[in-house]
Amino acid sequence: MKSNIYNWFFLILRRDLLIASRRSSTYITPLIFFLIVISFFPIALSPDQEFLRSLAPGVIWIAALLSSLLAIETIFSEDFRDGTLDEFFISNDPSFVLVFAKVLCHWLVTGFPILIASIISSLILYLPFNSLMPMICSLILGTFFMSLLGAIGAALSLGKSAILSAIIVLPFSIPTLLMGTAAVASAIDYQDYSGFLLIMGAMLAIGIPGLCLLTVEAILLNYE
Amino acid sequence: MLPKLKVSNLSCTRAGNLLFNNLNFEVNAGQNIEIIGSNGSGKTTLLRILLGLIHIGKGDMEWLDNKDNYNQFRDMECFYQGHSLGIKNLLSAEENLRLSSFSFGVSEEKIHSSLDRVGIERHSALASELSVGQKKRISIARWLLKDFGIYFIDEPFSALDDEASNLIEEIIEELNKKGASFVITGHRPSNVVSSQINLDHEV
Amino acid sequence: MNKMWNYIKDWFIEMGSPPLFFKWSSKVLPWLIFTTIIIFALGLTWGLFYSPTDYKQGDVYRIIYIHVPSAILGQSIFMFMAVCGFITMVWRVKISGMLLKAAAPIGASFTLLALLTGSIWGKPTWGTWWVWDARLTSTLILFFIYAAIIGLHSSIDDKSKADRAISILSIVGIAIIPIIKKSVDWWQTLHQPSTFSLTSAPSMTPDMYQPLLVCVLGFYLMFALLLTMNLRAEVIVREKNKSWVSKQYLSEDK
Repeated sequence: MKSNIYNWFFLILRRDLLIASRRSSTYITPLIFFLIVISFFPIALSPDQEFLRSLAPGVIWIAALLSSLLAIETIFSEDFRDGTLDEFFISNDPSFVLVFAKVLCHWLVTGFPILIASIISSLILYLPFNSLMPMICSLILGTFFMSLLGAIGAALSLGKSAILSAIIVLPFSIPTLLMGTAAVASAIDYQDYSGFLLIMGAMLAIGIPGLCLLTVEAILLNYE
Repeated sequence: MLPKLKVSNLSCTRAGNLLFNNLNFEVNAGQNIEIIGSNGSGKTTLLRILLGLIHIGKGDMEWLDNKDNYNQFRDMECFYQGHSLGIKNLLSAEENLRLSSFSFGVSEEKIHSSLDRVGIERHSALASELSVGQKKRISIARWLLKDFGIYFIDEPFSALDDEASNLIEEIIEELNKKGASFVITGHRPSNVVSSQINLDHEV
Repeated sequence: MNKMWNYIKDWFIEMGSPPLFFKWSSKVLPWLIFTTIIIFALGLTWGLFYSPTDYKQGDVYRIIYIHVPSAILGQSIFMFMAVCGFITMVWRVKISGMLLKAAAPIGASFTLLALLTGSIWGKPTWGTWWVWDARLTSTLILFFIYAAIIGLHSSIDDKSKADRAISILSIVGIAIIPIIKKSVDWWQTLHQPSTFSLTSAPSMTPDMYQPLLVCVLGFYLMFALLLTMNLRAEVIVREKNKSWVSKQYLSEDK
């Protein structure tokens, strides 16, 4: 049976999920980092309940952005070092599908901890309960887009400092940040927030093929 | 028999230095080629150009397909092992073989028999618990999974004891009889190859 | 017609070779310097000294003759960089990668100039040095993206690889920048109920408008001049081991 791109896609998912399940730091550290960042805000600013409630959507989103960015940093470095990444590019199959498999797996492993951390944070920042579901939906869409952007940042700065990857990725994540916080903020006021989620979905729809193609080019640069 | 791969007038410049100029060679069925050179002479670069990891600058590569025509694109299944082995530390020996991209459609018995052939006893031991030599044997086990057309191996004999080197030579001979060819790199000429490309002399 | 088209095509192919580009640009450079200085000086003196005083803002609005052209240049240069990046990635042309690298600091400087002049404009009209106005914020984000591009290029040692890396980044940038601008626009209307934005231009009569056009043209010429000079320096640095460089410098030592 000749290798089929679908089989290969699921093979990569299985392999990376198996490896991530054996290294618990992959999914614990984003959660802890998220909570640490969140705790800085009451500590540095003010623990007043009303004040924190007004800050909550933005602060949760900023923590999600930073956790997502730092978590995706190492997506390609291990595979590049042990030679597994080369296999993607020497076959005749479209490699951006395989890169997408890696990003999807990475998001599945780091996205759920971030979601759980955000639910905990909504309690400790007194976020109104009615906006919890919209926050989760916006975070699902937003962290996935962040993972795609972070993959390009990781590929371009493979082997260099994480902070370089951060300056590359963070300006491009501003629309996601704006839409996400807007979704949560309008949900708090019982207003319609579906438009923001639709825009984030549209960004994902264009981003998945476009960013994965560019990520392939960025990874290939490292072989020259 | 037609050669499986024809390379003509291949040249490559890396960081301003000319690595090799107007390289010509052919890879025939059942025969092996070794690319020799000192460190930095471009062995890994040449291998990567042949596989398509690096854009081919000047020169031509033609691959034989099933209908005995030559194409720019490769149709046959090839195996590649880079300088780092392609073995994941957190997976066991059999998982490394089962979840490898070279193992589609390979049965469980084939995986276990390949591991036995290369002398790995505990198939479910995590690769992180094994020595470097044993990890190298696991990567060799992948060669036996399917019938590949050409094997591109970067430095197969490095850091190996005599027993393991003999094992590799045996396996290479077996696979040659089935019609597979090997393109390997190394520092010194080895016994299994029929022709050599010395990159130190090719500039 | 066909002959002219062939001539243009041949010129493009020739420009891809560094020594030929250098020779051509040495011939063109004096004319470029001359034209740039004339139009730049003309535009600025006309705008800063001879255009009529605005009814609402007084003489302060004159900074528009520097602010608007530098903002326009900052954005146009990014589009130019994205086109160069696309050409570098698809056709593997070396000179477009060098153009991209040479244009980046120029674009960043124009964007920074737009931010500073916008800030200077804001102080007398609104009383603060900075306001999170939609245009200033999106110009600030554009500056961050320029900084990321320059930073990425300097972090990669192999310079032709670095060119291709920033090509990828500029392609991502050109796709995301319209989205950033739209979302920042929307965000600003949400939080600032007043519709009068800080740096909105006064409604302009022709005698205010004409020096502005001349200034924009002067800034574009200035960009062409700076780009050519920067690219010449870049070509010399990259090809310094080649024989034509020593011949060039030896021949200029008349």
